[in-house]
Amino acid sequence: MSSLHQAHHVDAPARLGGQGRLARFVARVPFGFWMLTPLLVLIVVFVAYPVVYSLYLSFTNYRFTNPDASQLVGGAQYVKLFQEGAFVHSALLTAIYVAVSVSIEVVLGFALALALWRQERIRNLTRAILLMPMFVTPIAVGLAFRYILNQQLGPLPAALGHLGITYDFFGPGRALYSLAAIDAWQWTPLMLLLLLAGLESLPAAPFEAARIDGASRAMIFWRVTLPLMMPVVAVAVLIRMLDASKVFEYVYAITAGGPGTQTESAQYLMYETGIRYFDLGQAAAMAFVFVAILSIPIILLYRQSRKGQLA
Amino acid sequence: MSTTTAGPSTRRPLDVLAKVLVVVAVVVVALPFVWIAFNAFRSEADLGDPSSLAIHPTLSNWSDVIAQGVPAAALRSAIIGLITVAVAVVVGSMGAYAISRSRQRSAPMRFGILASTVLPPSVLVFPLLAIAVRLHLNDSLLIVVAAHLTFVVPIVTWFMVSFFDGVPRELEEQATIDGYGRFAAFRLVVLPTVLPGLGAAGLLAFMFSWNDLFYALILAPGNARTLPVAIAGFNTFQGIKLGQMCAAILVAAVPVVILSFFIQRHLVRGMSGGVLKY
Repeated sequence: MSSLHQAHHVDAPARLGGQGRLARFVARVPFGFWMLTPLLVLIVVFVAYPVVYSLYLSFTNYRFTNPDASQLVGGAQYVKLFQEGAFVHSALLTAIYVAVSVSIEVVLGFALALALWRQERIRNLTRAILLMPMFVTPIAVGLAFRYILNQQLGPLPAALGHLGITYDFFGPGRALYSLAAIDAWQWTPLMLLLLLAGLESLPAAPFEAARIDGASRAMIFWRVTLPLMMPVVAVAVLIRMLDASKVFEYVYAITAGGPGTQTESAQYLMYETGIRYFDLGQAAAMAFVFVAILSIPIILLYRQSRKGQLA
Repeated sequence: MSTTTAGPSTRRPLDVLAKVLVVVAVVVVALPFVWIAFNAFRSEADLGDPSSLAIHPTLSNWSDVIAQGVPAAALRSAIIGLITVAVAVVVGSMGAYAISRSRQRSAPMRFGILASTVLPPSVLVFPLLAIAVRLHLNDSLLIVVAAHLTFVVPIVTWFMVSFFDGVPRELEEQATIDGYGRFAAFRLVVLPTVLPGLGAAGLLAFMFSWNDLFYALILAPGNARTLPVAIAGFNTFQGIKLGQMCAAILVAAVPVVILSFFIQRHLVRGMSGGVLKY
């Protein structure tokens, strides 16, 4: 028994004598380490090595058209990235996109979760339908909405036309918000899923107490439900923020960054820079600045998830 | 909130509002699906007039989609997905078990896994492309599998940690007393108890692989193109190819939507790292 417990510790003494044969070696190294090895190898080879290589690329002028001529250029790629302004522009509009889409998603998702809460009878089928969008490949969603919202051929502009309304969903000043709305169509379901699960795991006692005290529904919501739900809301919002910040498919399918550069999201700009202009060094530098920005919510998410586990 | 004792007669405006909201949401979610499915069977002439719902049912959109290699692309996506899932489920469940059971040092490992699940693909895709070109692996299924492993393995691991956390240690302690080796105890005693979670993780992993555009588009845009890349190729409004596009969208969407019905119950628990149980 006690040896079993000891074996859980990754740092159990694993001194290896020169005479240690393979079997001894296998027995000495803790079981947990062996179980972890395939994962570690895979992460090192497929994630850590590319990340390091990417970091190296960002300090070179590597171009696809002539990889052999690439040389170290120090921080020039990073300087260029801030001088040219395209990256800053794309980072800002990505931030607007994330703020708009995630705000819609959390409000609608919370409202729907509350509406479905404690509705056992209708919940399963309704939930199954409401969750459908989040499983579809985003490129398909993008193309579907490019059609549905298309000014000449789309059914929605046609229907609006009958009401005397002309609205170009992908016109200047509007395209970014239309893309954010598509994001909300696809991802409010995820918010609903997480928040409904959060609601259903809430303890019953505070609600009983509030009811006995004669609290109104509004008061129960603001004083009991919302405070209890805040950790779950925070995790759900951060999950969505991180994901929405990588928006690529809708842009690729619908606007290709236009009108002008109004929907040139960070991820799309990196794709264009690396693939269309073969400038892998610059694209890698952009990716790292992007990661630096994203690491803030990642750390927040982690803190929040630890807090949730302790609760 | 809702006092469930309230009968239909005492229903308050808020309850009515909730019902209306749900109905509207179902319509908003379902209509695009219905529209795409409807138009996949309409003729070119029908599609030309957005104000008309006329339909001359035809399968020509589908034969066009087949002629343009969509089934082959779907097969490639399925192969990539299955290989990715097979590797991810084995490696991920073993690693997740080790993480779940290690009392010390578990926190940084959990964080490392979580961080890799949210790593933006743009960080990895360019070095992977450079490596693939050097190894002459670009535009091959293998490089796409490698790329998908970078995000699928961490997701499966993250997913499974929460399920293993729910398995009492006494179970494997009893198994070792009964004479099982440590690995046998894991494989024959612990793993079966988390099988539903593992199945859900596998299906979710398959969907993630099946749905990826970014990696596949950059690493394998040609002969090895996957289904999302092939579908992106219908992104042309030259001529009226809308019917074909709708059919192609359905090919991508229908399988995963069906699969999704099997995993919904387990999704929350796995995704929230065990913070939420459903």
